[in-house]
Amino acid sequence: MSQEPDLLTRRHFLRTSILGAALSWTVPLFVERTFSLLNAEAAETATQIATGKDHPILLVLQLAGGNDGLNALVPFADDLYYRARPTINIPRDTVLSLDGYVGFNPRMAPLKNLFDQGKLAVIQGVGYPNPNRSHFRSTEIWQTASDADKYVKTGWIGRYFDNCCAGEDPTVGVTIGSQLPQTFTAEKNTGIAMTPGGRLGFGKEADASEQQVFNELNGITQDHDLTSGSSIGSLNGPSEPTLSAVEYLQRTALDAQVGTDKIEAILKRTKPEAAYPKTPLGNELSLIARLISGGLPTRVYYASQGGYDTHNAQENSHNNLLGQLADALAAFSNDLTSKGIWDRVLVVSFSEFGRRVAENASKGTDHGTAAPMFICGGNVKPGLYGNHPSLSQLDQGDLIHTVDFRSVYATVLNRWMKAPASKILGRDFSALSFV
Amino acid sequence: MLSQLSKEKWTYDAAAHLAARSGFGESPSQLEQWTKQGMEATIQELLHPANDDTPTLPTCAAPNQFAELRERVKEATSPDDKKQARRTLRQTTNEQLYELINWWTQRMLTTPAPLVEKMTLFWHGHFATSGLKVRSPYKLWQQNETLRRHALGNFAILTKAVSRDPAMMVYLDLATSHLEHPNENFARELMELFTLGEGNYSEADIKEAARAFTGYRIDRFEQFRFIKNQADGGNKTFLQQTGNWNGDQIIDIILKQPAAAKFISTKLWKFFAYEGPESQLIDKLAELFLQNYEIRPLLETIFSSEEFYSQRARDAIVKSPVQYAVESGRTLGVNLPTGRTLFVVYQRMGQVPFFPPNVKGWDGGKSWINTATLTFRYQLARQLVLGIRVLNNPPSLKAPQVSSLAQASPSAQASPSAQASAAAQTGSLTAQNFVRLPALPVEQLVTAEERKDPEAAVRKIYARAFQTAPDPQLFDRILAVAKLKPLPLADDAIRDLVALMMMTPNYQVC
Repeated sequence: MSQEPDLLTRRHFLRTSILGAALSWTVPLFVERTFSLLNAEAAETATQIATGKDHPILLVLQLAGGNDGLNALVPFADDLYYRARPTINIPRDTVLSLDGYVGFNPRMAPLKNLFDQGKLAVIQGVGYPNPNRSHFRSTEIWQTASDADKYVKTGWIGRYFDNCCAGEDPTVGVTIGSQLPQTFTAEKNTGIAMTPGGRLGFGKEADASEQQVFNELNGITQDHDLTSGSSIGSLNGPSEPTLSAVEYLQRTALDAQVGTDKIEAILKRTKPEAAYPKTPLGNELSLIARLISGGLPTRVYYASQGGYDTHNAQENSHNNLLGQLADALAAFSNDLTSKGIWDRVLVVSFSEFGRRVAENASKGTDHGTAAPMFICGGNVKPGLYGNHPSLSQLDQGDLIHTVDFRSVYATVLNRWMKAPASKILGRDFSALSFV
Repeated sequence: MLSQLSKEKWTYDAAAHLAARSGFGESPSQLEQWTKQGMEATIQELLHPANDDTPTLPTCAAPNQFAELRERVKEATSPDDKKQARRTLRQTTNEQLYELINWWTQRMLTTPAPLVEKMTLFWHGHFATSGLKVRSPYKLWQQNETLRRHALGNFAILTKAVSRDPAMMVYLDLATSHLEHPNENFARELMELFTLGEGNYSEADIKEAARAFTGYRIDRFEQFRFIKNQADGGNKTFLQQTGNWNGDQIIDIILKQPAAAKFISTKLWKFFAYEGPESQLIDKLAELFLQNYEIRPLLETIFSSEEFYSQRARDAIVKSPVQYAVESGRTLGVNLPTGRTLFVVYQRMGQVPFFPPNVKGWDGGKSWINTATLTFRYQLARQLVLGIRVLNNPPSLKAPQVSSLAQASPSAQASPSAQASAAAQTGSLTAQNFVRLPALPVEQLVTAEERKDPEAAVRKIYARAFQTAPDPQLFDRILAVAKLKPLPLADDAIRDLVALMMMTPNYQVC
């Protein structure tokens, strides 16, 4: 484990120079500890290293709170839908039909356009066996891709990072905002969360010695090379619980240094496009578009839109959410199309569950099970996938899923990310053909 | 397991450890006093604090203040008038919410009963309720006082009080639950998050419990009211027991389950000591708690245990944003931001009191720290030391934070971009809208004599910042910086040293 690495590549060279610095106490323990391990691993991992500007990009979009799938993708040809929802149904004549049985909520017109342009796939009835109706547990199941009765700590994207991105830059995964989703939780490489405008440093007209002490105290060395695809930031130690709190802080400081430098540089030379709606999701997608076009070596972005927990008087609020979602995605698609990079991007939306078929007494809906997933991108194979769940055969008032969400993940991993899906997901799931 | 710390291990560092965990840090003289008086006396002082004289009440501490404004929205005839009336309503609400956050922060900063405030914060994260959905500043204040009143009391009584708490009743839809279709939101979280933990009840139990919590309403003075004809008087079979249970009886049945005592004991241990506690340790705590759900004896056991002071517990907890801010104010004397600026600062660090991200509260621990929040903490450190700029007399703000922040849902995770939009809004204001608070007053940190001696000065500041005896390596690095500065150390030189200490990994933990 502690053997001296070969000076073979630039990446190795960078690491070695960092290890050289380990003679001083200031290099965090975890660097020393994980150095050799990672070095050996990187040599083994024959996976392509994303340094160029042509690798596929995934955007995971969380619709948090439990999206009412039945009022988004409306089974308007089914009377049972109207019987179950006497006051909060989407009137038949307003639904934007996709196949004569289901159609979009009218507020999703921009997504109907994407569908018609052949850039949108809809997977119907997505869920999992023995559905859990707790927001947190079900979100965890979706984020870790576990069975309903199993607990897994790492996220499905985190395991992708561990399997395919060893030795990558910390910006391999980026969440804009200040919370990292469990989807990214990994043994080694967890990605970063960023709020624009933040810089790590001692922060005044820096006295060099103060800046240096600051860096040392935070375990940051100055050796990382910002123009290469790699950096010391790639030496992410294992995440919880193996790192002590202080070691974890040192690692985060290092990632922040590497990540902010790159992101700031990109934001300096790109401008926001005007065409995005001024909503939180619109702002977020606008920013992600800039980072993609600016060449950040990120494989997976994560964004979220909250508010879908519509127990109460849901009509306006739910329609507005769907409208904001559709407007933001349409703007994103237009922006990336005009920049010529829409073909490289796949957006996958998910929600922890759908909602109960029957409306409740507060003109809202309670926690349910299966719901549709929306998938868009320049290279998507458009259409409706999976069968819409039956409205007559229910499980205690809830839809019975027809597609396991891990089939969707398997498809994304295998066909889009070119990653070993069964290894990442723990077993085989039949793939779909939307990419 | 859990044997009492032996007398010789009660040192200054142990006292400092207790001060940081049970409260928000103390001055060196206070810590010396604690060391002298011994552990037992100190813990008794914390558990039975001298009278916490009621501080000034916030403006929102009177119910139903917005009836008139709401009426105005309703009666407005033109769309423009309506818009204007809505805006006024929103702004007035937001101002009261900002004031409430400031009010609690001040209270934590100056309290003579730090453990009471710390536990109030713990219960706030446990029985999480967010202003995003509750909206009424009065209800949030009322809940805060309820949590404080029972903070060290009895968990059964506390849980029942929370079930009747108007803010909670709004947040988890209890106030709109109907006899015919009982809303399951509160019943579910009561078991999953407040008492038993997932896996210790069935979906059927949730449905039955929801029936027992019908008839809970809020009157026009924003108080709890029980409406008998809205309550389900039939038999319910809950956790294998059948009877015409009401809400309180449901809570009693729940708390008879050993799982509940274990769930709360584990959470408290993690909050005060360390992650992943030994199972025998938890069993022992839970056994004690299950007897009567009294909180004081449980805390006393925790704070006097060998394990609480063990090496494993030291520096093992990442300070929450509230802890970071309040402790910096209490121990170093930095001026905390005020008004809306305090809200934004808390938001950027990832914890706004009265605005937990969802009903699960804050995850805490290492999740406080990621690249975004750590970067912000470091930037904040320097600003706090030099005097942070705060929003002064904000002009009429077009999009108030509270409505645009994220979403009004208790269960959805906060949208990450909310922070960005908040920052953008702040950024669009001009310099005239801000005033700078006074810089850190250095006279109370170091004497004129100490300014002439870098080592003495660093030792003094270090004791305040880190509360413990110096770590030699950390101390030496900071001293090296101090030695480069002209003597006697100028005010700004001392502020640099304070900022440098605050910008270390070690300062983020306690």
